[in-house]
Amino acid sequence: MVYTKLKSAVAVLSICAAGAAYADKSDDTLSVAFTKELENVDSYFNSSREGVVLQRAVWDGLVYRDPVTNEYKGNLATAWEWIDDVTLEFKLREGVTFHNGEVFNADDVVFTVNFVADAENGVKTQRNVSWMKSAEKIDDYTVRISLKAPFPAAIEFLSGPVSMYPNEYYAEVGPKGMGLKPIGTGPYKVAEVIPGQRFVLEKNTSYHDSPKGQPSIGRIEIRTIPDINTQIAELFNGTLDMIWQTPADQAEKLAEMEQFTVTNESTMRIGYLSLDAAGRTGEDNPFTKLKVRQAVAHAINREALVAALLKGKSQVISTACFPSQFGCDQDVKSYEYDPEKAKMLLAEAGYEDGFTTEFYAYRNRDYAEAISSYLNAVGIKTDFKMMKYSALRELRTAKGTPVSFQTWGSYSINDTSAITSQFFKFGALDDARDPELRDWLDVADSSTNPETRKEFYSKALNKIADNAYWVPMFSYNTNYVYGNDVSYTPTPDEVLRFTTMTWN
Amino acid sequence: MTLATSANSVDPLLQDIIGPTPGQQLRRRFFGHRGLMIGASVLGLLLVIAVLAPVVAPHDPYAQDLMARMKPPVFLGGTWENILGTDHLGRDYLSRLIYGARVSLLIGFVAALISGTIGTAMGVAAGYFGGRVDMVVTFLINVRLAMPVVLVALAVVAILGGSLQVVIGVLGLLLWDRFAVVMRASTLQVRGREYVAAAQAIGASTPRILLSEIMPNIMNNLIVVITLEMAHAILLEATLSFLGLGVQPPTPSWGLMVSEGKNMMLFEPWLVLIPGTVLFVVVLAINLMGDGLRDVTAPENRS
Amino acid sequence: MLNFILKRLGLALLVALTVSFISFILLFLSGDPAIALAGEGATDEDVLAIRKLYGFDRPMLMQYASWLLSALSGDFGESYYFKLPVSSLIADRLSVTMLLGLCGISFALLTAVPLGVIAAIRPNSIIDRIALFLSVAGQAMPSFWFGLILIVAFSIKLRWLPPSGTDSWRNFIMPTVVLGYYAMPAIMRLTRAGMLDVLSSDYIRTARAKGASEMRVMFKHALRNAIIPVVSLAAVQMGFMLGGSIVVESIFALHGAGYLAWESISRNDLPTVQALILIFSMFYITFTFLADVLNAWLDPRMRSS
Repeated sequence: MVYTKLKSAVAVLSICAAGAAYADKSDDTLSVAFTKELENVDSYFNSSREGVVLQRAVWDGLVYRDPVTNEYKGNLATAWEWIDDVTLEFKLREGVTFHNGEVFNADDVVFTVNFVADAENGVKTQRNVSWMKSAEKIDDYTVRISLKAPFPAAIEFLSGPVSMYPNEYYAEVGPKGMGLKPIGTGPYKVAEVIPGQRFVLEKNTSYHDSPKGQPSIGRIEIRTIPDINTQIAELFNGTLDMIWQTPADQAEKLAEMEQFTVTNESTMRIGYLSLDAAGRTGEDNPFTKLKVRQAVAHAINREALVAALLKGKSQVISTACFPSQFGCDQDVKSYEYDPEKAKMLLAEAGYEDGFTTEFYAYRNRDYAEAISSYLNAVGIKTDFKMMKYSALRELRTAKGTPVSFQTWGSYSINDTSAITSQFFKFGALDDARDPELRDWLDVADSSTNPETRKEFYSKALNKIADNAYWVPMFSYNTNYVYGNDVSYTPTPDEVLRFTTMTWN
Repeated sequence: MTLATSANSVDPLLQDIIGPTPGQQLRRRFFGHRGLMIGASVLGLLLVIAVLAPVVAPHDPYAQDLMARMKPPVFLGGTWENILGTDHLGRDYLSRLIYGARVSLLIGFVAALISGTIGTAMGVAAGYFGGRVDMVVTFLINVRLAMPVVLVALAVVAILGGSLQVVIGVLGLLLWDRFAVVMRASTLQVRGREYVAAAQAIGASTPRILLSEIMPNIMNNLIVVITLEMAHAILLEATLSFLGLGVQPPTPSWGLMVSEGKNMMLFEPWLVLIPGTVLFVVVLAINLMGDGLRDVTAPENRS
Repeated sequence: MLNFILKRLGLALLVALTVSFISFILLFLSGDPAIALAGEGATDEDVLAIRKLYGFDRPMLMQYASWLLSALSGDFGESYYFKLPVSSLIADRLSVTMLLGLCGISFALLTAVPLGVIAAIRPNSIIDRIALFLSVAGQAMPSFWFGLILIVAFSIKLRWLPPSGTDSWRNFIMPTVVLGYYAMPAIMRLTRAGMLDVLSSDYIRTARAKGASEMRVMFKHALRNAIIPVVSLAAVQMGFMLGGSIVVESIFALHGAGYLAWESISRNDLPTVQALILIFSMFYITFTFLADVLNAWLDPRMRSS
């Protein structure tokens, strides 16, 4: 009797469970999880990966870079040409309308560029826009963008973070209004925003003939679920259709289950150790000695880190940039895993018994812990300090750190200037402070001759490797996990593209 | 022992209300109190393990082997090489648990010592001097109670960066409220006694009265609160470490182990279950001991 | 009575003011918020521009005074992270936390009071012992761990309950249990002790002697008297509970104020953290104040103390 009662109670409960709103193929709604709370949907006022994902869905740039072939194609522009080193002219696509019905034309481009290029307006990632000076209208469908200085990566930036906003609407509502009710030209319209928690996108049925392709899935429902276990549990329960940025171990387990597809793609993010070669933490700091830095490089088994922890399409790297980036010369000195040699080098540098140092990190605690453990094994005792990104950055800016585990994603910009030049030109985070490097990188960054650029990047990257200013370790990867009724091919730039997703 | 008395011994609360047989000797109460004995034995055993960690631990708790990650414990098909399996960096789980006992006990003990010192000083001062001092102390206790402990501790650790010292310091500075409350009440009780009045009459100095007349007579209550707050500190450290703002790796802390295991919880639940169970048992043991101590040392407080 | 209430109110306000000052100092010392504001991947120019924009160079007392003044009018400034008014951000999420707190305390009362009553009526019975074991064990169980175990059991293995979110009442079951169980031991102990106390009083003996039924004695006479301190304890526990919801909300991904607090700490979102510490403190202060008033109203002797 009790047993039957119990059984019926279970039955009732499971019916309740089954009755829960399943968003799936049957109602053409794909549910996706974000891990981080997005601060503002307005793409100029956030700096997170989640923001980029929404940006690519809701807005368009003048140019589009095919993520597979890396070929630039016209999107809101149909053609462009360099008038001189600092002027670009665009022919705009006609017949495009924003989600609110506003017609897209030169006024929108002029307004957007002039707004974001003005530092007063406080665009969050200044680097994305600060290279532009202004824009002027030639006619309704022709505009010119003026640069502050020659900037070879202009088209790359215009195909990435610089998207076009509706001038009348944006002038009226500003970044706050745009964040709450975003309006763009993109393949998806925003139907609902609960800041930081929930975003609902709907297919833009009148999307122009864009190289992004036409959207297929009708509704995308995005919820912020910070905990990976919860994400997986919801995936099991069918209340989520797709998760991404899934850690390697969990992805591996999920791949073993029949009902899920797991795909893996590399990202442009690389992990490296930055060593205090400039002696910012003290003149007698061991890392000012070349042999100590080389010992660090020899002490770490990067192959094992990639094989056991990162997995997927991650690769071991020796250059201070991501291999696909323009100018990222792969032919530099590489340090193989050799703890004995590391100990020998330490002894030669006068540290027979090793030494103790602070070791800083801000993300991937497990990777950082594994790395510090390798250092301990050769006699470099580490005082492990995990900090918030901002706190560590503040510390590095103010006083430097002897050794820190850092990562950099280059904003997915496929050019060495987005990484190496960020860190070796005497900025606050430059731990090497090598004037020769700075001069070479200056040449490489501003030259309009690709061969000159390659040559000087190569010189700089070789010097960084020879001197072991950084110990580059591995590139990152991302896992995408989804039910078998979804079909998706991820791209190597870690941008989730709803437009190319379809139901099976 | 009849059924009724054995039930009494298991449960400290019952003791609170019913009370022991009159005339029982302290030692008999001590050894006859089952909860106290269980708690003390577990804690004693843990103390021995913590002290002898280098001898009892089968492996180096810091030695990583990336090729042998998350091996299951022996009862889930693992090998005797790693009795409780290995963690996400291939370190021996049992050895980390054993060294974790050191961390937890150290944090619990030192934090309780710091907060005990602060709280006792405040409580005794408030109880003995009364008046303005009492008002100020009561006010401070109110302020402290109004601050959400976990939130404030998290914020402070986030600011200062997590390390053993910081966590101990933060907990020590936050957990003095119960000491202050209990010590104030106990001092109030003792203050009026004849021996205090006698000491005052013969002109003993205030510090002398506090140290040799008041303190010895409120010591039993202090010990009870120390025990309970130790458990509290251990739990809070685990919570902070779980939220990623506690002691730093590679320090083996039980809270950190749960936090690290949490990521694989759905696939390897033992990673979470083992350290969590140990934490639970230890805190339970300390609480049992504290409740037991209250019963055996303060019989006159019972109704 | 009015005098008592005014005195308590004054004290409560003073406590609130002190807490606000402490929380302000705490976060003032937390370092340069400009870097956190700029976010990961920002260049040095970005950071510099932001530091200028927000003017973090004013003297501390000035910043505190201006913050407090606007806080009094419900304006906690703008979240560094979301660029939205903190008050609207929190208002959104506070409802989740309050709902959770209410569910939690109701759950604790609904389980702990009956258990306490039964334990008192039948001392040393099985139920008494189970209740007592639960009260000791409850305090030793780390809530984050308890939450994880519930998720594994009820969401993964049995699939009865959703592991996260706030979509339906079913989402609140596990968080309610985890949050509520922590208050159970104290409430149960107090109920039990109170009942035992009342049951042995002359008053109950008289009622029994007059021939009132056992049920009537228990509920009409005994429980009514024993429950008074329990209610005020529950109010205090509710204050503690809301402060403790930070752990529960982070495990069950409930977008409440506790979760917001945790996230804001890691994002260095000062205005939000400051506002939340103050609001959680205010909850505690309000609930203890109400408990005091309740006690004084029911028991005039306490007014003089």
